[in-house]
Amino acid sequence: MSAPTPTHSRLLRPLGVGAAALCLTLVATACGDGGSASADGADLDGQALEIVGPWAGDEQKAFEQVLALFEEQTGASVSYSGAGDDLQTVLQTRIQGGDEPDVALIPQAGLIEHFAEEGALVPLSDEVSQVLDDNMAGAWTEIGSVDGTAYGVYLKVANKSLVWYNDDLFAETGAAPPQTWEEFVGLSEDLADVGIPPLSIAGADGWVLTDWFENVYLQTAGPEMYDQLAAHEIPWTDPSVEVALETLAEVWGQEQLMLGGGNGSLQTDFPTSVVNVYSDDPDAAMVVGADFIGGVVTASTNAAVGDTAQVFPFPHVGGEGEAVVVAGDAAVAMTDGEATMELLRFLATEEAAREWAAIGGFVSPNRNLTADDYADPVLGQVAEQIVLAGDSVRFDLSDLQPAAFGATVGDGMWQTLQDFLADPSDVEGTMERLEDEAARAHGE
Amino acid sequence: MTAPRETPAWRRLFGPATLFLLPALLFLGVFLAYPALYSVVRSLFDASGSQFVGLGNYTRMFTDDRTLVAIRNTGIWVLVAPALVTGLGLVFAVLTERVRWATAFRVLLFMPMAISLFASGIIFRLVYDENPDRGVVNAAVVTVHDVFASPSEYPGARPRGDELAEDTALGGFTTTRAYTVGETAALPLVGIRPGEMPEQAAPAAVPDAAEGTIEGVVWLDIALGGEAGTVDDGENGMPRMTIEALRDGQVAATTTSGDDGRFTLTGLGAGEYEIHLTADNFTEPFRGLTWLGPTLVTPVIISSWVWIMTGFAITFIAAGLAAIPRDALEAARVDGATEWQVFRKITIPLLGPLLLVVFVTLMINVLKIFDLVFVIAPGSVQADASVVALRMWQVSFGAGGNQGLGSALVVLLLVLVLPIMYFNIRRFRRERS
Amino acid sequence: MTTTSQKSPSVVEVSVSGAPRRGMASRLLSRLGSGALQTVLVLVALFWMVPVIGLLLVSLRSEADNTNSGWWTVLLKPAELTLDNYRGLVDNDVLVRSFLNTVYISVPSTLLVVGIGALAAYALVWMDFPGRDWIMVGVVGLLVLPIQAALIPISQLYGALGIFGSILGAILFHVAFGLPFAVFLLRNFFVNIPRDLLEAARMDGAGEWRIFRRVVLPVARPALASLAVFQFLWVWNDMLVALVFTSPDSAPLTVALRSQLRQFGTNIDVLASGAFLSMLVPLLVFFAFQRSFVQGVFAGSGK
Repeated sequence: MSAPTPTHSRLLRPLGVGAAALCLTLVATACGDGGSASADGADLDGQALEIVGPWAGDEQKAFEQVLALFEEQTGASVSYSGAGDDLQTVLQTRIQGGDEPDVALIPQAGLIEHFAEEGALVPLSDEVSQVLDDNMAGAWTEIGSVDGTAYGVYLKVANKSLVWYNDDLFAETGAAPPQTWEEFVGLSEDLADVGIPPLSIAGADGWVLTDWFENVYLQTAGPEMYDQLAAHEIPWTDPSVEVALETLAEVWGQEQLMLGGGNGSLQTDFPTSVVNVYSDDPDAAMVVGADFIGGVVTASTNAAVGDTAQVFPFPHVGGEGEAVVVAGDAAVAMTDGEATMELLRFLATEEAAREWAAIGGFVSPNRNLTADDYADPVLGQVAEQIVLAGDSVRFDLSDLQPAAFGATVGDGMWQTLQDFLADPSDVEGTMERLEDEAARAHGE
Repeated sequence: MTAPRETPAWRRLFGPATLFLLPALLFLGVFLAYPALYSVVRSLFDASGSQFVGLGNYTRMFTDDRTLVAIRNTGIWVLVAPALVTGLGLVFAVLTERVRWATAFRVLLFMPMAISLFASGIIFRLVYDENPDRGVVNAAVVTVHDVFASPSEYPGARPRGDELAEDTALGGFTTTRAYTVGETAALPLVGIRPGEMPEQAAPAAVPDAAEGTIEGVVWLDIALGGEAGTVDDGENGMPRMTIEALRDGQVAATTTSGDDGRFTLTGLGAGEYEIHLTADNFTEPFRGLTWLGPTLVTPVIISSWVWIMTGFAITFIAAGLAAIPRDALEAARVDGATEWQVFRKITIPLLGPLLLVVFVTLMINVLKIFDLVFVIAPGSVQADASVVALRMWQVSFGAGGNQGLGSALVVLLLVLVLPIMYFNIRRFRRERS
Repeated sequence: MTTTSQKSPSVVEVSVSGAPRRGMASRLLSRLGSGALQTVLVLVALFWMVPVIGLLLVSLRSEADNTNSGWWTVLLKPAELTLDNYRGLVDNDVLVRSFLNTVYISVPSTLLVVGIGALAAYALVWMDFPGRDWIMVGVVGLLVLPIQAALIPISQLYGALGIFGSILGAILFHVAFGLPFAVFLLRNFFVNIPRDLLEAARMDGAGEWRIFRRVVLPVARPALASLAVFQFLWVWNDMLVALVFTSPDSAPLTVALRSQLRQFGTNIDVLASGAFLSMLVPLLVFFAFQRSFVQGVFAGSGK
């Protein structure tokens, strides 16, 4: 089982650019602004569609508003249900029962491949692919493809190359957001000197640690190597991995730079790591993580995003230029039909993205949206960073792996990096274990 | 298979028995026996289900460290948890029998059963949170601890520069060079938030050298824009620090720093001394235990299961107790038996079969536990806390869905229950004879 | 109330020899020995309640307050208490529908398990036919089958039958997985019913069905009530089966509450208030059945 690689995305780039140019000349209709979808939207009166996805709570409400727009335009009725962490169980059993939903939202690229190989997915129609090209960088189509066949429409994405900081603590100590890794480490040491633990790390959740690694690796090794490692074309014992791990150890190896040290971090789960930075009496100054940290700040603390809670891009290591690690939820078709494809087409449009962006808590890869379309200026800034990175965005490496290696509690990459956090001196052993487990998971 | 008994012919008719049993057998056959067989067959195939791999999944299962840990933990669970719950249930049921508010007590202990396992898991995640500001157990532990040992003044302080170094033998920090009497020592420290300094801390000042003593200052060297290692404006001394002069590892003098961080080591003979900041200045405050760390996590999850299931045991044992004929107990009491004798000689034997049912049920319930472990154990220790049913869940539905290996784990569970089945069949036979 | 527990044994002896009338003896005993005992039990009950009280207080505070300080601190500043978490949950049409769904799923599941289980247990204890021990052993063995092992094969079956995503599918699944425990438990209760009782009924010419309904069911009421309560609880609090086998229209409370959870976050506000809301009905059921538990198994039969 080999993961889809973003390497080919460079081939698609000219096409993407061409489509964008085309879009500019044709104006309105094809690229959709406002009522265009209703103009050429199919009449689906009386048709019922079902979607299953990971979103619940506020995200579900927002998504249902977006779907209401589709219902209004086409006359179809769409029902959404959230399966949360059990999404894979629900989808797997429903596929077995022959009762699959029309559309599923899949948060993991590796899972798209899994279902595609089972034959449970229907490829995107040419029309949907065309809309995708009009609205997003080719890299996104590529990430949603398996063996060259496009299946996924990336609707909601996450920028994982961010560092959130507590501006009150920064102001108190006169700290400024750092640009480079050296500045970042130096700032952390300065904060530790004045008795403020600089970093809150959710070591209990393995994916937080893989995000750290991916950001550092993408910067130290560059996008090409990143793609090769993702596809396991180079082994995890490659010197480039050693460089990344040693860079990480510059922070993970200094107990006083992490709230609670390495072992305290391993007991901290993701929401708690955010709360540690933004509670009324904050325990730490920074937390590395994706844009959705903003949602946790709003829901679980008294701090306000854009005020106390601010963000800077993950610092440059070595200076390879802009590089953004992203993740996202892709819509895939599980049934074949006009209505299903029409829904996917709608989800790929600028119109759908704009609707959700205006509600908040959402970042779109759609390049036709500007920062002004976002209700939340911080998210607007984050989305712009993704659009600017264009085809040099790199998908979360662990999400591209077979789940056994890249996304399993107590296994593979997650567990190995947790062990590395507990003992950052063991670079050699960590590389060997990663290679062992990767080889097994890739079926080599 | 059993000796024919003297029974009326109509009772031996197969008809009514079949009718009574049919609905149950239908359900059991379709929903349980069929999936059990399905698991046995499926365990012989690979992840995709298309390739026959024989016993491959089983060899893989028993060579995988994580599964072995899960099997070990399941063993601990089975040995400890059911006996504990049955015992507690029996004790509470008997004790409440003669209390007027028995119903209230039983309802209270029953309450946890009315909460979903998922929510219970969340509760215990909170109860055992390592942070004493959030976890009630550590809050209690820390409160008790601090009654006996007061926290130190400067936890987490570290030396700046190489004037001082960690003292591996004595704890605390010792100067890297020796000072002769008449010299002054400036010892910079960092790692304390200025707002957390003692209130009386005053601006630090470097003392003048004096005849016959070693003069010095310890201060917090963190003024913004200040120079590392020198006393700048706005930097405060560190009061009440215990400081010793060492010669050949022996304490030659002891003193305490003043509000401006100055200290004087007196009564020293001529010669060279190292200056030592004692460890008790820097003792980290006690923050309680890491309940959800690798070593304690399984006992902690067992304790939460005990909390949930004791209500179950009490309910059934109390019902059984109520069923014991009053006459038998009273007769024994009239004969002069003590309460303990009544309990041992009459109550326990009469309750025996029921206790066994409760115990077996709990044991089998323990084998199936997975959500409690999943919710309570933090991701980083989940591998340490894993049990067979959780491993099965993760292998089948978590990691790319390997139903083959997952089915092998189901078969393992079915095998684990064989001793219980053997035990039961002997009991059934005995009861009938 | 001043005596200690150590003294009570001698009190028993005194009371036994001095007061042969049993009513008086037990009254005296409970008067004197229960002081210490009651204290111990009160302490145990309080200790047991700590997590539930914690959950209750957590559910009555805002999420930000909960992350800022422990729930016990609210005892010092009661101003933090708020019903907002509950308001957020109840202000939701889906919740009412899912509440009804939960009732539709758990009531039939409970009744069917008790009924079918009792029939089978009766047959296994009081009827004579070959292989009945083996059936019992099979039932014990199947007790251990985890629910997740049946998800895939039963999904295929439901797909073929076309009852995927329906309340019926969830009920049938729950009934099946409740039966092994029901049969196991009831068999062990039925075994203790005095043989004379049944023989007497048979002498009167009663058929099996009549004996079952008129003799066994009334006698076994406490056991049936306990079983019913626990079966009800398990179904009421189930999430996994509901998540897999129901659709949004037929989803019960647990699934609806779950859909209020944010993807990232502590969610403790939703979980705590949701846990309390969904606990109310099971507690009512427990109170309703409590009387049946304490009645003796042989009450009214052994005269």
